[in-house]
Amino acid sequence: MHMVMAVLGVAVLGGLLGLDRTAAGQFMVSQPIVAGPLTGWLLGDASAGFVIGGVLELIWLLDVPVGSFVPANATVGAVSATGIAVLGMPGGATLPVIGFSLLLTAAIGPLTIGADSLVRTGNSKLIEKAAASTVGDRARAISRAHLSGLVVFFLKSFILCAVIVPAGVAAVLLLFDRLPGTVHRALALFVKLLPIVGAALVARKLSMKEFDRFVLMGFVIAAVFGLLIPVPSLIVLLLVVTAGWIGARYSEHRA
Amino acid sequence: MNTERKHIGNADFLKVFGRALLLQASWSFERMQTLGFAFAVEPVLRKLYPDRNEYEERLKVHLEYFNTQPYCASFILGAVMRLEEDRATGVNAAADVSGLKAALMAPLGAMGDSFFWGALRPLTALIATAVLLAGVWWAPLLFLALYNIWHVGLRMGMLYWGYQSGGDAAMLLARYSLTRWAKRFKIMSLTVLGGMIGMLPSWRPEFRLHVPVPGVVTAMAGLVLTFALVFVLRRGGSPIKLMFGLALLCLALAYAGVV
Repeated sequence: MHMVMAVLGVAVLGGLLGLDRTAAGQFMVSQPIVAGPLTGWLLGDASAGFVIGGVLELIWLLDVPVGSFVPANATVGAVSATGIAVLGMPGGATLPVIGFSLLLTAAIGPLTIGADSLVRTGNSKLIEKAAASTVGDRARAISRAHLSGLVVFFLKSFILCAVIVPAGVAAVLLLFDRLPGTVHRALALFVKLLPIVGAALVARKLSMKEFDRFVLMGFVIAAVFGLLIPVPSLIVLLLVVTAGWIGARYSEHRA
Repeated sequence: MNTERKHIGNADFLKVFGRALLLQASWSFERMQTLGFAFAVEPVLRKLYPDRNEYEERLKVHLEYFNTQPYCASFILGAVMRLEEDRATGVNAAADVSGLKAALMAPLGAMGDSFFWGALRPLTALIATAVLLAGVWWAPLLFLALYNIWHVGLRMGMLYWGYQSGGDAAMLLARYSLTRWAKRFKIMSLTVLGGMIGMLPSWRPEFRLHVPVPGVVTAMAGLVLTFALVFVLRRGGSPIKLMFGLALLCLALAYAGVV
């Protein structure tokens, strides 16, 4: 019963956060860095949500649904991966189970693209309904058709989470524990290295040149102040952001 | 023609702003934000055109194709509010509302995509992710605050400026050169990215690599690996493929006894 309620809660959260992705607001609560910790907090293991949200944020950061481009749904990915990891290992999700759930949700990425595309194709009927409305009822028909899109977008994410999470939890319970220790060690290393993969994806999409001087500048500042002269991490970050701003202005000045 | 002057008040701005937040609620491949635009502008049309037939006719006009960057749509909404007001009151009865929408949506879309999706979001998310990797629990709140100060501020501002300028996008560009800010934010993003890799040895315990080498060496290895992956990515590859490639590499390392 507890499991059913938990899955239902995760699916509702996924549905609501999914609305923010494109349909309503776009305040970015749908981003993995928010969606992961929120799901983890709802299920009583925020720590797993932070790990999953952090890595997925980097991996999907620049895959934005712009125009007719539909990327894999990072919101459903973050909510589902956190749900699978936490519900599959109630005592506290370990790194290997987090790695396992991340791979599971990555594998269903194309399914989320298909679901998104299906909804966006089907939505064409909404405007047809509104346009076909009779004079005197047009405003109401437009509002009704438009707002029913919200229900469709909610249901899409809700159903995806409601299907993926229990299937993933079953995979964890039936398969994960039977995997040899070597695979568990590999999965733990996989999670530790994922932020580097995410950083490379961001760098690539930001059109970073080879050995970009701004990346190197940030790296040197962090290495000097964070490692050689131990300064608190937040101060180091502040220095890095400030240096980035100065670098941007200097670049403008030179141009 | 109804010549009685009707003012668009603050309440109308709030109504349109609230509805603009749902601009993409019925987004479709075929007509994109068309229905959302008509939905957003409807309260203003209802106020400006007391004659039912004229109101319905104007609403129908706004069922034409529309698509732009969803935040920048506020500028066009503001401009349309102004033109519809001018049209309804007879100040400019021939105001070409459709022409204005068609002229603005593509350039504002390109500018908005470049600034909001290509610069603001990466920068704020990278700062927040770096803070999260440093082990700070309020990193998601920092992300939401940093992002939405710009997002909500500009979205509200653009609705007002669109109305004030009557769709003169040059005014928007003069006030805020979003292209210049986009370039600045991209440079800052790259710096934060470098800083994040430089802080690798002090990341949250879950991400720390327990290797018997000094932290600087670990950080440099992280930087080299990032550059190597960028090199690989230049030859193609999606995030999903890269994740599975990494998983296979980790499996090979584990079976080779490296970890």
